Amino acid sequence: MFDFRFYEIWRSEEFVNTLIEGAFNSFWLTTVGGICGFVLALILVLMQDKSLFIGIRLTSRIYVEFIRNTPFVVQMFFVAFGLPLLLDLQWSFHISALLAITLNFSAYFAEIVRSGIDSTPKGQIEAAQSLGFKKIAIFKDIVLPQAIAKVYPSLTSQFIFLFLTTGLISEIGVEDLTWAGRFISDRNFRDFEVYLVLTGIYMCMSWMFIFLLNSLKQKAFPWWGLK
Amino acid sequence: MLDQANAEFAVVIEGMNKWYDDFQVLTDINLSVKYGERIVICGPSGSGKSTLIRCLNHLEIHQEGKIIVNGTSIFDGMKLPETVRRDVGMVFQSFNLFPHLSVIDNCILPQVSVLGRDAKTAHEIGMKFLERVKIPTQANKYPGQLSGGQQQRVAIARALCMEPKIMLFDEPTSALDPEMVSEVLDTMLELAESGMTMLCVTHEMGFAEKAADRVIFMDAGKIVEENVPSAFFSNPQHPRTREFLGQIL
Repeated sequence: MFDFRFYEIWRSEEFVNTLIEGAFNSFWLTTVGGICGFVLALILVLMQDKSLFIGIRLTSRIYVEFIRNTPFVVQMFFVAFGLPLLLDLQWSFHISALLAITLNFSAYFAEIVRSGIDSTPKGQIEAAQSLGFKKIAIFKDIVLPQAIAKVYPSLTSQFIFLFLTTGLISEIGVEDLTWAGRFISDRNFRDFEVYLVLTGIYMCMSWMFIFLLNSLKQKAFPWWGLK
Repeated sequence: MLDQANAEFAVVIEGMNKWYDDFQVLTDINLSVKYGERIVICGPSGSGKSTLIRCLNHLEIHQEGKIIVNGTSIFDGMKLPETVRRDVGMVFQSFNLFPHLSVIDNCILPQVSVLGRDAKTAHEIGMKFLERVKIPTQANKYPGQLSGGQQQRVAIARALCMEPKIMLFDEPTSALDPEMVSEVLDTMLELAESGMTMLCVTHEMGFAEKAADRVIFMDAGKIVEENVPSAFFSNPQHPRTREFLGQIL
């Protein structure tokens, strides 16, 4: 039987602090990236409106397909190392991570929101048209709120899934939760214990995100499920 | 002729034809409706009656002939159908209330978004019409919490808030449980008495007898018969009308 020694983590204040900081970094980068990604997703969806110039629609489609069909690591390395060279600018790895998360999340969110928009009942649009709503108002006030409510569960589970992939930002030296795990196991050589603890923390954080997102749903869509 | 008619007629349709691909749904429709007139359109399903009134606010597009609604010509590719729609209220079979907005917000949003009214005025007007359809106590509920009859009355109130010149009803009671039909019909009767111009697609012959100035019978995309209700029901001319009335009365 393997001799678990979790004490090898708890006894060091440095290790515990690293874990807390890592979890905190993972939390805020995912949260901020998720929010920015969602906003970008809405813009991407808007760009795909049938009435717009084909070039604009195509740009959005190609972007979404590109992101969804390439690995996150590659996208992140491009943002962290390629883009600074191209633009001749320097920024911190935190910013790179945030940007990579935003870009990555946005494509997945856009695809989900689009599916919600496509399934808008025709009668809703006709009712709005018959009242004299302008196209933009129909989209903003009628179609979008209903579409987001409808795909909210998909958005939540996609968000959790993407959160769990953000461990990859440790590859560019961002001190997230995965980075903290590696930092500790490199020093106390208790990999099994460290990654078990990491698993537990990731799971708790996922539950916390789910709890927060579900609470937000109650607030944002109190009407959902009434019929 | 059409130009002189504008002031008097809410709707003028002349020689209108409409196709879905190869299939002709409406054939040579001619119909004039004066302001204040109440028209009931009936006929078997698939006869084109819904399509006809949906052409009037450009939800459907006709290919041939003239349609003039409230003085504005309706045609394919028209620039601002919104300006016509603003004056033409429509009530649908499936209510089509906005489920994400409370009852009162369903009435407020169109006024604010389309007419540019301020929220306070819109709220007052909204409450006024909710009272008129006898549903003011449900103002803060969501449509999903209301019965079908209540939802349809809210839909009528929502349309009336826009202070339309013409109201179109597309089988407003067909999706309702039998005991809820009368509450909606009562609302419509009251509206008819107030002098609103109404075009109603409905199978409620009782409503037609009480409220309509003219009944129009359609079959296979054509207007087959057109008469005042008393004559329409007591002495239908066309065999197809007789057959139809025999089935539903």
